[in-house]
Amino acid sequence: MTLNRREFIKANAIAAAAAVAGVSVPAVASNLITSSDITKLKWDKAPCRFCGTGCSVNVGVMDGKVVATHGDIKSPVNKGLNCVKGYFLSKIMYGKDRLTTPLLRMTNGKYDKEGEFAPVSWDQAFNVMAEKAKDALKKDGPEALGMFGSGQWTVQEGYAAVKLMKAGFRTNNIDPNARHCMASAVGGFMRTFGIDEPMGCYDDLEAADAFVLWGSNMAEMHPILWTRLTDRRLSAPHVKVAVLSTFEHRSFDLADNGMIFTPQTDLAILNFIANYIIKTDRVNKDFVSKHTNFRLGETDIGYGLRPEHELEQKAKNNGKTKGSSTPIDFDEYAKFVSTYTVEYVSKLSGVPEHKLEALAELYADPKIKVTSFWTMGFNQHTRGVWANNLCYNIHLLTGKISEPGNSPFSLTGQPSACGTAREVGTFSHRLPADMVVKNPKHRAIAEKIWDLPEGTVPAKPGYHAALQNRMLKDGKLNFYWVQCNNNMQAAANMNEEGYPGYRNPKNFIVVSDPYPTVTAQAADLILPTAMWVEKEGVYGNAERRTQSWYQMVEAPEGAKSDLWQLVEFSKRFKVEEVWPEELIAKKPEVRGKTLFDVLYKDSAAGKFSLDEIPEDRLNHESRDFGFYIQKGLFEEYATFGRGHAHDLAPYDQYHKERGLRWPVVNGVETKWRFKEGSDPYAKKGSGWDFYGKPDGRAIIFALPYEPAAESPDEEYDLWLSTGRVLEHWHSGSMTQRVPELYKAMPDALVYMHPDDAKKRGMRRGDLVKLISRRGEVQTRVETRGRNKPPIGLVFMPWFDASRLVNKVTLDATDPLSKQTDFKKCAIKIVKV
Amino acid sequence: MTKKTEEITSEYHVASFVAYPIAEQLDEVKEAILNVEGTEIHATSEEGKIVFTIEGNSYRDIGSKMDVIRVHKGMINLSPVYHQILDESIENEQIYKEIK
Amino acid sequence: MKILNLAVIASLLVLAVSPMMYSLNANAADKEEVNSVATLRDSTPIDTQKEPNAIPKVINKDIKQGRNYPMQPPVIPHTTRSYEVNTNNNKCMSCHSRHRTEKSQAPMVSVTHYMDRDGNFLADVSPRRYFCNQCHVTQLDAEPLVENTFIDMHSIMKKKTDTAEKH
Repeated sequence: MTLNRREFIKANAIAAAAAVAGVSVPAVASNLITSSDITKLKWDKAPCRFCGTGCSVNVGVMDGKVVATHGDIKSPVNKGLNCVKGYFLSKIMYGKDRLTTPLLRMTNGKYDKEGEFAPVSWDQAFNVMAEKAKDALKKDGPEALGMFGSGQWTVQEGYAAVKLMKAGFRTNNIDPNARHCMASAVGGFMRTFGIDEPMGCYDDLEAADAFVLWGSNMAEMHPILWTRLTDRRLSAPHVKVAVLSTFEHRSFDLADNGMIFTPQTDLAILNFIANYIIKTDRVNKDFVSKHTNFRLGETDIGYGLRPEHELEQKAKNNGKTKGSSTPIDFDEYAKFVSTYTVEYVSKLSGVPEHKLEALAELYADPKIKVTSFWTMGFNQHTRGVWANNLCYNIHLLTGKISEPGNSPFSLTGQPSACGTAREVGTFSHRLPADMVVKNPKHRAIAEKIWDLPEGTVPAKPGYHAALQNRMLKDGKLNFYWVQCNNNMQAAANMNEEGYPGYRNPKNFIVVSDPYPTVTAQAADLILPTAMWVEKEGVYGNAERRTQSWYQMVEAPEGAKSDLWQLVEFSKRFKVEEVWPEELIAKKPEVRGKTLFDVLYKDSAAGKFSLDEIPEDRLNHESRDFGFYIQKGLFEEYATFGRGHAHDLAPYDQYHKERGLRWPVVNGVETKWRFKEGSDPYAKKGSGWDFYGKPDGRAIIFALPYEPAAESPDEEYDLWLSTGRVLEHWHSGSMTQRVPELYKAMPDALVYMHPDDAKKRGMRRGDLVKLISRRGEVQTRVETRGRNKPPIGLVFMPWFDASRLVNKVTLDATDPLSKQTDFKKCAIKIVKV
Repeated sequence: MTKKTEEITSEYHVASFVAYPIAEQLDEVKEAILNVEGTEIHATSEEGKIVFTIEGNSYRDIGSKMDVIRVHKGMINLSPVYHQILDESIENEQIYKEIK
Repeated sequence: MKILNLAVIASLLVLAVSPMMYSLNANAADKEEVNSVATLRDSTPIDTQKEPNAIPKVINKDIKQGRNYPMQPPVIPHTTRSYEVNTNNNKCMSCHSRHRTEKSQAPMVSVTHYMDRDGNFLADVSPRRYFCNQCHVTQLDAEPLVENTFIDMHSIMKKKTDTAEKH
C-alpha cells in the first residue's frame, strides 16, 4: 500500500485528535501509522527538561529517535503550550559532540592531572575513581569526599546519591546546585512555617485579582506561568500587575505598576508595606491573633565569605546565633516597622512614593486577592531568607494565604529542585522529608528505613556549595563528583575559588555530563551521561506536582545515566572499606557485602522485580541491575514522607496522571496547604493550621534592611546583575547546541543604559571588559536590548561558555541559607 | 458585488478537531460537520466527542470552514488539536511504500 | 507568485541543506575529536578568553524556514526591532492577525491560537498567546558552534523508503 505525504500528515492529524478525545486511533489512521513499519511513530508523555514550571510534553519517537514534541494538552500546568525552549526539546539530545566514552587525563597511559584527556573504558574509569576515593578515605576520612548534585537530577538519582554519600561513604558533603537557586526560599519556609514548599498552587493564577512580581522575570523564566498570568490579566479588566526589579525587563510589558529599585532595598519596601498595612489599620486582627507569633530576628549576620574577609571580621552575629530570634508582640513589631515610612523607603530605593503606596494597597485592601511571585531576585540575595520571611509577613498580617488567589508563591527555578533536591534532601545538612542530620531522631528514622545500624548517618552538616569550592581550593576536599550541573560556569568567583579548586593537584574531580562543558574541561575524569527521556525518572515542579516518565529512547552507545553511574560505582566498595569496625559490629550480616548490596539490592529499594516492566518498555538501569530500581528507590523514599504531610502517591499512579500535587492522601492531591478543608493535615476547626510549627502558628519576623556585601564605589562604579534569558537554559549546555535557539541568541552581551555607555565612550557593539576585584571578562555592549537597566547597573547573562561572567562575581552568600548572591557585586567597564 | 476570488495557493492544509456537542444533538452536529466541504469524521468517543478533520488550501480556508462548524447551536465546545501545512509546489510527490 | 516560488524553493533548500550547513567544524570527526572538551568555548583554556565576535545581525530575508516537526512554532524570518508587545499594543498582530493578512500577506496565526486554556474556541486570539516572542524567536546570522544531528520524521521515512527500494 502506498502512502503519499498528504495521507501521512492527515493520519498524524487524526491520531493526535483521537488521542485528545480518548478514542483509539481509527482504522484509517492506524493502518497508515501504527501498522506501517516506515511510519511508526510512538507517543508518550514526559515533563519538560527545563524550568521549574514543569510543563508536560508529548514526545514522538520514530526509529529510536525523538522526532517531535508538543505541549501536552491534558496537563493542567500548560494545557498544550510550551515556551520556545520546550518546543525544541526534540533536539537537545542530538548535539554532535555528545560524549560516548569516559575520558581520563593521562600521560603515557597513566592518570596524570596535568595530562590530556584520552578515552578509557567504564571499567577503567571506575577503577581509578574507586582508587582515588579509597585513598582519600584512608588519608583524611569521609570528610575528604564530596559530591555536587542537581535540581535536575531525577528523584531516584538524588535519593540514590543521598544514600551513597550519607549512608555509604558517611559524609554529609553532598550539596545540589539548588543551593544556588532555592536555599533561601527553603530557609524562608522553615523559619516562617517550619515546613518547606509553597502552600498555594498554579490555580492561584486564575483566581487572583493582583499579581506582584518581586524581582522575578516570569515572562522569560517561567514563560508558561506568564501566559496564564497574561490570560488572567487580559481577560479580567480589574486585575492589576505590579513588577519590581533592579532593571526593566520583558515582564514590565504587562505591568500596571512597574518599579525599578536600588539593589537590596527590596527588604525596605517589604517592611514599608507592613508598616502601611498597620498604619492604615488593615491588619487582619482575627487571623493574626489566632495563627501567628511575632519574633525579632538576629541582625548584622555577615555575608558568608571566608572568615578572614574584613566583612566577616566586622559582622557581630555571623556565628552560631545568626539564625536566632526572640519572641515579641504585635506592638513591638509595629514599632519596628514604623521607621519604614514611604518617604524614607522612596529615598532609599528610588521608587516614587505614589508607586509604593499603590503597591502596598494591593496587599492592604482586604478585597484584593493578591499573589506574590519571586525567584532569584529574593533568593540569590545576601539577605534572601529575610526577604522570603518579610514577604510572608505581609501575607500573614492580612491573612492572605492558603486560599485561591491569595498566595505568597515562591517560584522554583529548576525542574526538580523541589522534587529532588529539597524533598529528597540532597543537601549538606538534610535528609528526606524536611529532616535534618543534626537531629538524632531524624537520623534514627533514616537508619530505620534504610535498615542500617544506629550511627551510620553522620551528624555534622557537611560542606555546602560555596564552601565546597573553598575546601577544594584549600585541599581539604580531595575526591569530588559533579553530576548534572555545570558548576565551573555557574558558581561565583571562579578565579579565586572554583577554578583553582578543581585544578588543585591534591584533588581528583569527576564530572558526569552528556556534553563536554566548561566543568568537564576543568575535571580529571569525564563520564558520558544519558539525559532526559534516555532514562526513566520522576521530577517535582514548583507547585509540588510530582511527574514521571518512562525511558523512550536509548542513550548513545557508551553513555549511562547518573543513576546507573552511582549504583554501579557502589559495587566497588566493600563495607569494610568504608565503615569502621564498631559500626559493622552492630550489623554483622553486612560483612563482606558491597555498598551495592547494602544500599540498593538488599534494601527496600531492591524489592520490585523486573516482571513489573513490560517487555517492550526500555529501562536500561533495571535490566542491568536485575530489579526494578526506579520504582524501588521511589517507594522506599516515599516512606519518609507518607503520614508526615509529604505524602506521595504510589509510583505507578504517577505514570497514569499528569502528575499529582503532594500531599496525596487517599488518592486525592492537595491544592492549598495549611487550610482546613483543602489540606487533610490541617486540623478540624482550625481554619488555618500551620502544622510545621509545634503550636500551629506561622511566624512574622521583624527584620531590617541591611546593605549588600559589595556596593559600587569610586573605582568599581557599577552594579552587576546576572541571570538568564528566555532562549537558553542555565549554562546553555543543552540549548546552545540547538541551532534555532543558538541563533536566537548566540552570545551573552552586557545590557547597559545608553547614557552609561556614552559616558564611558562606548557604543552598542563595542568590545568591552567587565572588571571586578576578582577577575575580568570580555563581551560586547547592548544598549537597545530586551533588558533596559537604569543608570548605574548592568546585566549580563551566564549562558555563554565563552564569556564566563562568573569570573567577575562575588561568592558572598546569605549566611543563613548559604546561597550565593548572583545579583549584586561592584564592577567597572572599560573599552578594549 | 465584486468578491475577491479565494486565493488558490499551492498549499495543502489539514487540521484536526475534537468537537463536544450536546448529547441529544450529536447527529445534527455530525451532519453539520459533513455539510462543510473538506471535512471527514473519523471517530466518535463513548462520551460523544467527535474526531474530525478539515482539509483546505489556505489558513483562511480552514478558518472559515471552522467558523461555520463552531457556531452550531448544538456545539458545546470545539477544540482545534493539530494543523499542518504541506507546500506542494514541488514537482514530485513523495511516495512512501510499505516494506513487505 | 514568482517571488513566492523562489521563497518556497529557498526554504526547501534550507531544509535539505541544513544537516550539512553546520558541518564546517566537525568534518568526518573521529571519536577523539568529537569528544574534545568545552566545544562551546572552542576548547579555549578556562583562565583565558578568545576575543568575543561582533554582534551578529538579525536575519531579515523573510524566507520561511522549514519546521523540524509539525507543531514547532516557526522562527521569525524578519527583524522585530522596536516591535512592541505590551498592554497598549501588539505589533505582531498588525500583520499576522486573521483580518490583516489579506493586506499584509503575512502568514496568519494558526487556528490553535484561538483556543483558550479550557479548550473553548474564541473569536479572537486567546490572551494566553498574547506574547508572541515566548514561542517565536528571530534568528541572528551566526554559525552554530556545534552541529546538531536531529533528523526529522520525513527524512527518516524517506531514507527507509530509499533503502527499501534498493532491495
